[in-house]
Amino acid sequence: MYDIRLEGVTKKFGDFTAVDNINFTIPKSSVTVLLGPSGCGKTTLMRMIAGLESPTNGKIFFGEHEVTNVPTRRRNIGMVFQYPVIYRGTSVRKNLELPLLSEKLSKAEIDKRVDEVAEILDLKDVLKRFVEELDNGTRQKIAVAREVARQPRIILFDEPITNIDLTSKLELKRSMKELFGRLQQTIVYVTHDQTEAMTLADQIALMQDGVITQSDSPKEIYDKPNSQFAGWFLGNPGMNFVPPEFIKVSGTKITSPLFSQTIDLGSKAASADTFGVRAEGISVSGTEEKGAVQARVTRKALGAGGQYLLDLAVGSLLIKARVSHSVGRSVQNSVWTTIASENITFFDKSGTAL
Amino acid sequence: MAETTFKAKRKPGPIRFATLGAWGISLLFFLPVAWIISTAFKPKESIVVSPPVFFFKPTFNNITEALSFDNTLDYFIHSIVYSFGSVTIAILVSYLAAYSFSRYKPAGTDFLMFLLLSTRFVPAAAFVVPYFQLFNLLKLKDSYIGLIAFYTMFSIPFSVWILKGFLDGISQRYDETGLVYGASRWHIMFKVILPQVKPGLVASFVFNILFVWNEFLFNFQLGGAKTFGVPVGLFTGSTKGGAIDWAYVASIGTLYVLPLVVVIYAFQKYLLVGLTFGTVRGEV
Repeated sequence: MYDIRLEGVTKKFGDFTAVDNINFTIPKSSVTVLLGPSGCGKTTLMRMIAGLESPTNGKIFFGEHEVTNVPTRRRNIGMVFQYPVIYRGTSVRKNLELPLLSEKLSKAEIDKRVDEVAEILDLKDVLKRFVEELDNGTRQKIAVAREVARQPRIILFDEPITNIDLTSKLELKRSMKELFGRLQQTIVYVTHDQTEAMTLADQIALMQDGVITQSDSPKEIYDKPNSQFAGWFLGNPGMNFVPPEFIKVSGTKITSPLFSQTIDLGSKAASADTFGVRAEGISVSGTEEKGAVQARVTRKALGAGGQYLLDLAVGSLLIKARVSHSVGRSVQNSVWTTIASENITFFDKSGTAL
Repeated sequence: MAETTFKAKRKPGPIRFATLGAWGISLLFFLPVAWIISTAFKPKESIVVSPPVFFFKPTFNNITEALSFDNTLDYFIHSIVYSFGSVTIAILVSYLAAYSFSRYKPAGTDFLMFLLLSTRFVPAAAFVVPYFQLFNLLKLKDSYIGLIAFYTMFSIPFSVWILKGFLDGISQRYDETGLVYGASRWHIMFKVILPQVKPGLVASFVFNILFVWNEFLFNFQLGGAKTFGVPVGLFTGSTKGGAIDWAYVASIGTLYVLPLVVVIYAFQKYLLVGLTFGTVRGEV
């Protein structure tokens, strides 16, 4: 299998720079998710890897081979699009067989591959059915299965489950997770949905305005965002950000009405401007504890799956906390919050983590 | 507030008046065709009589007689060659053009599409003299090449418009999947996309055949003895004896509609889709 190496890859559409000088390596035999809001350039980047767009500048390598100017059809890749591409008027089996037929494989080999992917993606029962009779989720599975059966070295997924209804979405996500576990291929997966990215990725490359701002494992990127953008974009709700007026820096020490303790940030303290804390990084208690900060519950809490999202006010500062107990579910004047220092991330004026 | 009254729906009779009226109007429009076809099979003496004869012993004499005239069969052959020839070429060229407009969107696509259709804004008669001169100059008069070129040119704009509508309805992801699978552009165009726009191909084929098959003016001006089609033949042949030979007109007319009836009947199911497609768009 190949890794994918991008060297200074840039794509401009007229005056608009969609992808801006990206240097990045997508490791082989793993799942890399390109994550970002719409318009961040993630799909353009993927289309350049596929050869469907050519970069304005820069080079793309598959392993040791430069493919920048190699046409799509010689790149030996597979690609699944946002809308399922299926061939109407034929059976599911025929849909899976079509690209294999043109590769001139033996009948036995074709049958073997088709049965194999049908098994993994749970399509065995519909193999004989016509694609028109199936729902969108199943159609997308067919498109995925077809790529997998071809056994290319690299498979690209362009928001494959964005347009699928909710029930099929979960099922499809599960099948994909299972599938990715079995595949040896290098997989690039584009999405704007952070939960999808968290579920499926071995590595997330977070994109904003045409550049990759951070790349790491889902856990690392969630726990240690390197920018306010990363903190805000990942997580539901995104990170709480506390504005500068709630921070007091004296020397290397930082205090805040939200802290029960003083935090020593060393030489970085001088540039600390804001800090962020995730909703689940705030613990809430109904009784006063030593060093806890008093807060008000401003709204009745929203519950989801045994967890509650609390709207809290510390003085004039509004923050959100996620708890799994019942304290603070209704509007009240006094709960006590504590934030462990490892849950706090400081950012400088430009929004970069310290 | 006035009380709402719920009026029982009028019971439908066996045949409603409206239905009857609709049938009446339809039949009225169909009368000339019915007259032509029935006249073709009437004995000569009962063709122009008053009151008209509705029941008669059908005969093939008129048709065999009409076919035995010198040029009749030639007219049919000419018509078939230039109609089917030009429309087939036009569809092929239009498909390539429409594919390009739909997929590559060359600079000025909208303007070019408009320009293409604008050739049909002016009444055809306005072009007759310039074309006559041009064909004389290029020595294309009375040649298949000339006529086919002319009718091809005339059929292209409409076909490009119809086909572009159809192609825009086929997601480009099909093309891209083809590329990923290692197919060439030609393969994608003709093996992947073309089957999906079949209704569009049929619709533009049928509409253009209807036009070219019935075209009289340009065939008359630009053609000649070697290329006159049936409409011209009908016009010149019907007055051979000094007066209009209705038996001849009816026989040739009847034979003339047959190929179109067959073509349209065969493609009916595509035609309906062809007429309605393009109203609802979106990625498929």
